[in-house]
Amino acid sequence: MQNRILEFTNILRRAGIRVSTAEALDAFRALEVLSIDDREVFRDALGATMVKRAADVSIFNELFDLFWSGFYHSLRESFDQASAGLPERMDYEALLRQIAELLQAPEGEFPALSDLARAMLTGDLGQLESLIRSAAEGAGIERIENFLQVGFFSRRTLEGLGAERAAGELRELSDRLRAAGMSPDESEALSSLIDRLMDAIRNSVRNFTEREIQQRNHDYMEKFRQETLLEKSFYHLTEDEVRKMREVVERLAQKIKNILTIRRKRMKRGKLDLHQTLRRNMSHGGIPFEMIWKHRKKDRPKLVILCDVSSSVANVSRFMLQFCYSLQEAFTKIRSFIFVAELGEVTHLFKDAEISDSIERALQGGGVVNVYTRSNFGNAFYAFTQNYLAAVDKKTTVLVLGDARNNYNDPKAWCLREIHSKAKNVIWLNPENPSAWGFGDSVMNRYTPFVEVAEECRNLRQLSNLIDGLILR
Amino acid sequence: MGAGLFDSVESIQKELADLDYICDVNIATVVFLARRLEKPVLIEGPAGVGKTELAKVVATATRSQLIRLQCYEGLDEAKALYEWEYSKQLLYTQILKERFSEVMSGAKTVREAAERVGREDSVFFSENFLVPRPLMKAITADTPALLLIDEVDKGDPEFEALLLEVLSDFQVTVPEIGTIRAVKRPLVFLTSNNSREMSDALKRRCLHLFIDFPSEALEIRILEAKVPEAGKKLSADLVRMMQALRKLDLKKTPSISETLDWARALLALNAEELDRDVVRRTLNVILKYEGDVRKAEGELDKLLAERVDDQRSGAGAAATSSAQRAGKDARHQA
Ligand SMILES: Nc1ncnc2c1ncn2[C@@H]1O[C@H](COP(=O)(O)OP(=O)(O)OP(=O)(O)O)[C@@H](O)[C@H]1O
Ligand SMILES: [Mg+2]
Repeated sequence: MQNRILEFTNILRRAGIRVSTAEALDAFRALEVLSIDDREVFRDALGATMVKRAADVSIFNELFDLFWSGFYHSLRESFDQASAGLPERMDYEALLRQIAELLQAPEGEFPALSDLARAMLTGDLGQLESLIRSAAEGAGIERIENFLQVGFFSRRTLEGLGAERAAGELRELSDRLRAAGMSPDESEALSSLIDRLMDAIRNSVRNFTEREIQQRNHDYMEKFRQETLLEKSFYHLTEDEVRKMREVVERLAQKIKNILTIRRKRMKRGKLDLHQTLRRNMSHGGIPFEMIWKHRKKDRPKLVILCDVSSSVANVSRFMLQFCYSLQEAFTKIRSFIFVAELGEVTHLFKDAEISDSIERALQGGGVVNVYTRSNFGNAFYAFTQNYLAAVDKKTTVLVLGDARNNYNDPKAWCLREIHSKAKNVIWLNPENPSAWGFGDSVMNRYTPFVEVAEECRNLRQLSNLIDGLILR
Repeated sequence: MGAGLFDSVESIQKELADLDYICDVNIATVVFLARRLEKPVLIEGPAGVGKTELAKVVATATRSQLIRLQCYEGLDEAKALYEWEYSKQLLYTQILKERFSEVMSGAKTVREAAERVGREDSVFFSENFLVPRPLMKAITADTPALLLIDEVDKGDPEFEALLLEVLSDFQVTVPEIGTIRAVKRPLVFLTSNNSREMSDALKRRCLHLFIDFPSEALEIRILEAKVPEAGKKLSADLVRMMQALRKLDLKKTPSISETLDWARALLALNAEELDRDVVRRTLNVILKYEGDVRKAEGELDKLLAERVDDQRSGAGAAATSSAQRAGKDARHQA
């Protein structure tokens, strides 16, 4: 059992679920105190000890089914079917007793038989499962790569299992029973039972092999999916893919918040308020019985986001808006703006509606900007300084999301300078490669002097690295 | 604790049900493991699915005192762990002034006087002057205790570091006194709304329980336990509607607490069944955002029609299937 759990742990790890050794040990301990006959309890015990992220729960469940309940269930099904074929009047228990007599062995032990034959006869599914498993390992099942090899590995597993030998043993047994006086139709039923048992074992082995490859494919597909999404340029994302990234983006937003929340070194309290303390304690003859502490002020980070919603490819904006929305969920002091040529505030829109609605409405201009124009960053910054500069103070980080393609309009870099001079810092994430900045109608180079951080941000991996990098600044 | 009580997954499920907390095998299994392995449980899940309530009923069922630490931004050691009772210390120095003069008499320098006083330090930094806060209380409790650290995601990362220390070995070191160890480890439940991912280090020390929105059958049983006056038909209709609402993309998905609030609101209005008008008037009980209300109103006809269809296509069939499901749950308990 322990080996099986370790094997399962590895499968979880390959699918991207982090399971530490300590957690695997917890799983062992859990199974010591619980009865594992109940599949559901068994699953919950493994889940509670090894899977700690809510997002991993569904992958865990899928793999659990593949790895644990699936095969055992199908094994039971095929063997139940096989023995259900016996005629009514024939009592299986009685048959086993007869065999025991014949072999002169205590019922259920049958030392003369091979392990497989004995397990098949007595319907010991646990034993069957472990026999099949070790035969498959002996056949090198871990090397299986595609469905075309299922036949090959199944045959090798059956050989390792000694299936032919078991079949021979069972037939011999039935011959001896007939010789010992079993009625012809009973012996007929017995040999067809043996045929069905042999079919069941062959099917089960095949089934096992197929499952093995499904498990492997699962890990592979999962990784493949995640990695391509990480690397895929925002310009080429589909709407569906943007949605898939939601959870990752939420994490990143949260991370930014943690980074920006710069706290003073931990003190147990604020400073002593001498003035207030003396006043309060006048009546005690100036002996300070009651201390008054200055409230420790927290530097709650403030964030202002300016997001370009014009991009020629809408899904860049869609992704960026998703990022904005998540940021807004994470921060209390935040204001969000969108712009094309005009600029407008969408804080309330994000606050009030669910994420997909918010994004779709913002892409339509959110009732505050006209999206059917061409970008004009200069104009947008100008509008911001005119109407919203009061939103920026020394604690504010200003985050600009856009490609700085200004359609040959006046960049009005002085507006950004003004914003910059009032803010704690300005961060600009541009989906274009720096080698393109300043060329054609890109005016990024005009803005970078007024920006603490200007980075290319073209895919999820870059965004995530960038946020990690912010910690170091 | 009497023998046979709370010592198997089934009995936990049953005893919690006796306290009107209806749960599935998953929850009961994790509670069982928490007790047997003496490990803290981190409970995550959307708002209002019964995370806090679980801790409370387990405390009641195990006859433990519930010690609750509510987390918030800025929660610190002084509020979570312990604090020196300064005014009491000062009072004592005033009362003992005389004795101090004796101690100090003959001291030649200020330094010497201070050193002599310093030697008496331990008098003032003893447990007499310590104000224990929830974490300390849980560790020093001499009767069974359940420590509920509620909404741990609201606390700061620094607080998490403190928790790690305490949860690793259930001991606290007070520099002036020494190390205080738990005589009997308290059960610890942490709840989180996932507003922030907790650190891996913390998660490794905990069992993990994710409570999701309940299945239809489970929710009906919860409603019947908590608001029995609602009656079978209204309960079933209401739960079905809630389940349908949860499938919409809403900014805030309504939870069990909303189901219960809604049932009570409908009873107050003497509504015996859900019709368009009643639903419309009470939608704001379950949906907190403008946008969500608008969206639900838009779907209302469809939501109500589904229900009516079900009834027409044979309420009998629907009733048996949910009865079967309920029966299945009951079997789990048995
Ligand atoms: N399984 C249940 N059985 C009975 N009542 C329940 C159940 N789950 C939740 N409730 C009820 O729902 C309400 C909300 O539960 P609770 O406050 O524990 O939610 P919560 O998950 O802690 O929410 P939050 O994240 O907002 O703190 C309570 O009134 C509780 O009694
Ligand atoms: Mg709660």
